[in-house]
Amino acid sequence: MKVKAISRSTDEFTRERSNDLQRVFRNYDPNLRPQEKAVEYVRALNAAKLEKIFGRPFVGAMEHNEAISCMAKNPNHLKGIFAGSEDGDIRLWDITSRRTVRKFPGHRGAVRGLTASTDGSRLVSCGADCIIRRWTVPVEDSSDDSVKPEDFHISKNAYWGVDHQWKGDQFATVGAQVDIWNHTSNAPVRSFQWGTDTVISVRFNPGHPDLLATSASDRSITLYDVKTTIPIKKLIMQTKTNSIAWNPMEPMNFTAANEDGNCYSYDLRKLNEATMVHTDHAAAVMDIDYSPTGREFVTGSYDRTVRIFRYNGGHSREIYHTSRMQRVFCIKFSCDASYVISGSDDYNLRLWKAMASEQLGVLLPREKKRHEYDEALKNRYKHLPEVKRILRHRHLPLPIYKAAALRRTMTEAARKKEERRKAHSAPGSISTKPLRKRRIVKEVE
Amino acid sequence: MRNLLYNLQGKTAKPRDENVPSDDDEDEDEDGDLMDNGGNKLEDSHDEIEEDDDGRHVRMLEGITGMPSEAFEGKKKKNNVVISEAYPESEYNPTRDVLDGDGRISMEDLLGTLQKKPGFGKLRKIMDQMKKSEAIEAPLPTVIREKMERQAAYKISKKDMAKWEPQVKRNREAPTIYFDEDTDLGFSTVGAIASEFEPRTEFEKKMASLVYDDDVMEAHKKDGSRLLELNQVSVEDEKERHNRIAKMRSLLFRHEMKAKHIKKIKSKTYHRLLKKDRLKTAAALTEMDPEAAKEQAMKQEFKRAEERMTLKHKNTSKWATRILQRGLQVQDEEEEDEVPDSGILSLPFMERGLKKRKEAAEEEAKLALQEYEVSMKQLDDPSGAENSKIKASSGRRVFGAAKICAPESRDVIKTDNFYANSDSDDDMEAKENIFDVGKDGSSDMQKDVHVDSVLPNEFHQDSVFKSFDDIVRDPGPKTTYDVAIFASDKWRKMESRNKVDANSKKSPVAVEPEYNQDLQEPVKEVGENSDTESEGQMVDGIISLDPKPTYELPSQTELIRQAFAGDDVEEDFENDKQEILNEENPEPEKPVLLPGWGQWTRVQKKKGLPSWMLKEHENAKRKREEALKKRKDAHLKHVIISEKLDKKAEKLLTKTLPYPFTSKEVFEQSIRMPIGPEFNPATAVGALNRPAVVKKPGVIIKPIEFKEVNPHENKEDHKWSGQKQKMKKSKSDGSIPRKKMKKAEGKSKKVN
Repeated sequence: MKVKAISRSTDEFTRERSNDLQRVFRNYDPNLRPQEKAVEYVRALNAAKLEKIFGRPFVGAMEHNEAISCMAKNPNHLKGIFAGSEDGDIRLWDITSRRTVRKFPGHRGAVRGLTASTDGSRLVSCGADCIIRRWTVPVEDSSDDSVKPEDFHISKNAYWGVDHQWKGDQFATVGAQVDIWNHTSNAPVRSFQWGTDTVISVRFNPGHPDLLATSASDRSITLYDVKTTIPIKKLIMQTKTNSIAWNPMEPMNFTAANEDGNCYSYDLRKLNEATMVHTDHAAAVMDIDYSPTGREFVTGSYDRTVRIFRYNGGHSREIYHTSRMQRVFCIKFSCDASYVISGSDDYNLRLWKAMASEQLGVLLPREKKRHEYDEALKNRYKHLPEVKRILRHRHLPLPIYKAAALRRTMTEAARKKEERRKAHSAPGSISTKPLRKRRIVKEVE
Repeated sequence: MRNLLYNLQGKTAKPRDENVPSDDDEDEDEDGDLMDNGGNKLEDSHDEIEEDDDGRHVRMLEGITGMPSEAFEGKKKKNNVVISEAYPESEYNPTRDVLDGDGRISMEDLLGTLQKKPGFGKLRKIMDQMKKSEAIEAPLPTVIREKMERQAAYKISKKDMAKWEPQVKRNREAPTIYFDEDTDLGFSTVGAIASEFEPRTEFEKKMASLVYDDDVMEAHKKDGSRLLELNQVSVEDEKERHNRIAKMRSLLFRHEMKAKHIKKIKSKTYHRLLKKDRLKTAAALTEMDPEAAKEQAMKQEFKRAEERMTLKHKNTSKWATRILQRGLQVQDEEEEDEVPDSGILSLPFMERGLKKRKEAAEEEAKLALQEYEVSMKQLDDPSGAENSKIKASSGRRVFGAAKICAPESRDVIKTDNFYANSDSDDDMEAKENIFDVGKDGSSDMQKDVHVDSVLPNEFHQDSVFKSFDDIVRDPGPKTTYDVAIFASDKWRKMESRNKVDANSKKSPVAVEPEYNQDLQEPVKEVGENSDTESEGQMVDGIISLDPKPTYELPSQTELIRQAFAGDDVEEDFENDKQEILNEENPEPEKPVLLPGWGQWTRVQKKKGLPSWMLKEHENAKRKREEALKKRKDAHLKHVIISEKLDKKAEKLLTKTLPYPFTSKEVFEQSIRMPIGPEFNPATAVGALNRPAVVKKPGVIIKPIEFKEVNPHENKEDHKWSGQKQKMKKSKSDGSIPRKKMKKAEGKSKKVN
């Protein structure tokens, strides 16, 4: 007769080293834990509450002597950020210590555009004093504090913006016209002009480096290819576009920050309608920057707030404000997608966490797992009323709250009016344009 | 030369130019052609008019003469060419041939004059080439040309974008996108990092120049013996250093010993002297250097002020403030009878209680003392007992005292009884009085206990006997009872016949409306089952039980009537329903006339209730009726479906179907399985909880780079297939999205 005995190899339940955790065996039979869903719901609720408790996004501020007008991140160096202000001051900030590392004196008027080359060794600035200056960014620890420009170029018109190509040696300046420059040459390699209005912003496509988009004060968004001698396409909207950002992970998509307080995402190939309209700001959106992950973008607005949107979300996921922050003129997502830097009218550069309740510093694996679990739970139960209420709640300063409410009322009233008009006219005589098309005036070829 | 060529080109192109609508041509023909063009146009129009006139003339002639129009043609031509030669033939007055059209100036004519000039051969060659080729089309206007170019360029860049599509699509559809994979964190060891170090600042450079000294480096490269040589130190130097260190050490030691010794000295005089000494030196110092002394004094003063500032010297401690307030003596007195200031014992009723208890205790003590005295006196002299008797029977106090004495012992009672039985003298009356109550009580209790123990037994036995007797004597009623039970079982059968339910009255069953339908079915099934059991069988069974064959079975309806003779179930149910309806949609309150409220009293008296009140009441009534009509159970006579909301359950339900989900089932499925580490094996938890974006803080994320992606490959490297995939699959089910996830919670009562 064969005797059956329970046999286990010792490897299964003993640890190899004394530091190892003891292995715990569990029975995963769901009948043993009938309350699992209820337990997880409560955990999700607690996670949502904890998120609120730990939601302290503001990290620190860095001060200039005038309103910040533009910023540039160093694509090769995480903690370096260049900021230019209205008094012509350009500084390199170390955002870990929040100290000025270097000053770039020279501009007489407001600095309007700043950009750094992909390797972070060169900086280009331009401003209202009609000068483009090129700088070599010194290595970190050299002793002298301020830097002299490598060379400069004076033109007849003021410059409004500059952007550097990703992984190339070309950069584009805008103002009266769009100029493409080379680091080696002293005159523009190429110039584009389409229409007579001032071009106010420019952005190269990081995924597809030959492509660039500009926006002009004639309410247009124009696309260019640096390889050709002519512009490609122009789109005219009802209101001015203040800034443009390309999605770094989806080269065909870009989002335009509009004067009407909305952001419009477009597919390059289909400009007759926006793929998404991102609403929430109560005033004009001044600047926009995509997260390097391509999954969200941050906007700074004239209503004194910073908002973070999902790339496919109609409403913002997060709003940042402080009582002292004034109009936000420029905004950047850090290169590791975990910080947001805003520059505003109150002379300050502000550093925010991209996830308000994220734990900073090195996490233990256990902590990391726990955070992941909490996130997953929140994501799972976010539709249930209690969790939703907590997750969606944001405390807003009264003026902003009121402005947003007013805006809502206005859009609602307009919608109602149109509805009524439609109801009282012959069927089919009035057609409602979807919001995605409504603000587009025309596409120019 | 070039100019010439251009002109030629312009001339050859002219005939075509005229065909093109002439609005955009200006830019092209710049030198002189413009004029030409305009001139031509004028001529053209003139010609046309003339031609028109001629046509009319010919037609007129035709009409008059009846001859064909050809006959007049030649004439017309001739007429047309007639020109009086008033001027000599010249550039401005060409010959007849020229006007006729056959004598045009050709290229050859012009070239003929150039013959024998240098470069003529070349020019002729070009001319020949031009003759062979067709006329070149004029370039389009810039605006149109640029537009077309832009269109082409846009098309190309659109096409370029298409190459990104598979990559972008894959990223979008992936449940998790990773940004931490190819991170090069550089060197892992300190040595590797150090080897890469380059001196940048001056200090670093100095250090480097020392470290990377040629001699040293060379020595390093060789076997290292040279390194030892470089390190060599002379014997004298080493000795001197050693001595120096030893001296220092001994000095330190001695100083330490001395300090220890001084510290141990307890003599007051010594210390006084020491202090004096110190003061003296200080004074000397002040004399020597008054400024330093002043500074020192300032420092001291500042220190003292700082110390005074501290809370230590402000008497802010609880004890100090209290003592300051009330003086030192108060403290001792208060300690004696302390009533705590705070806590439960400070509450007023507790205070009162304490006081009462204290009084009671005092009284007790007094009584005890008295008793003690009485007993002592009794022992001494029996006549004293009367006093005690008077005192004892004179009121409540005695009673209370007696009560306290009661639990002393049972022996006392016994002795008491004994005394009572034996009718002993009055001496013990007092005691009897005292213990009367106790005795009575105990005897009563005993009785009770007895009765209690007897009664149930009797009843029980009685009932048992009775039932036995009954059964034996008269089995008839018993059987009817049984039948009644069976019959009451049958009520389910009656469901379809709309008959009365007996059970429902006793236990109204609450069922949520969502499950209502599901529940109805099983009930019906049960009913059917019971239907299938034939009545006859049951009846047979009962008959077999019946010992008397003469017993006639009552009819079914009669049985039921008998069974429910007393209670009107239907009405009860209706009442119940009405109650629930009233609870959920309460009847509006009748308007009440409040004198002076809403109108002057005399007006009120005349007119009664104001009309708006009545109207409001009417409205409320109507609303209620409408609400009642709208109820689901409005037309179901025997059913109550509660429409009351369950607030606790509401928290766990969404109002509408959340956005990405297309059906209720899919949404419910998505949150069905738990994801926690307690409910899943460790290998699965990571995948279940993985966030949509995995990134490392501090790692720079670069923009997308083009990679060939096979769109048909299986993109899931990870075992876990995310919720997204599941959602997509279930989308194809085509189930209709339900807007309302949750309807009103409810209770249902079913009759029949």
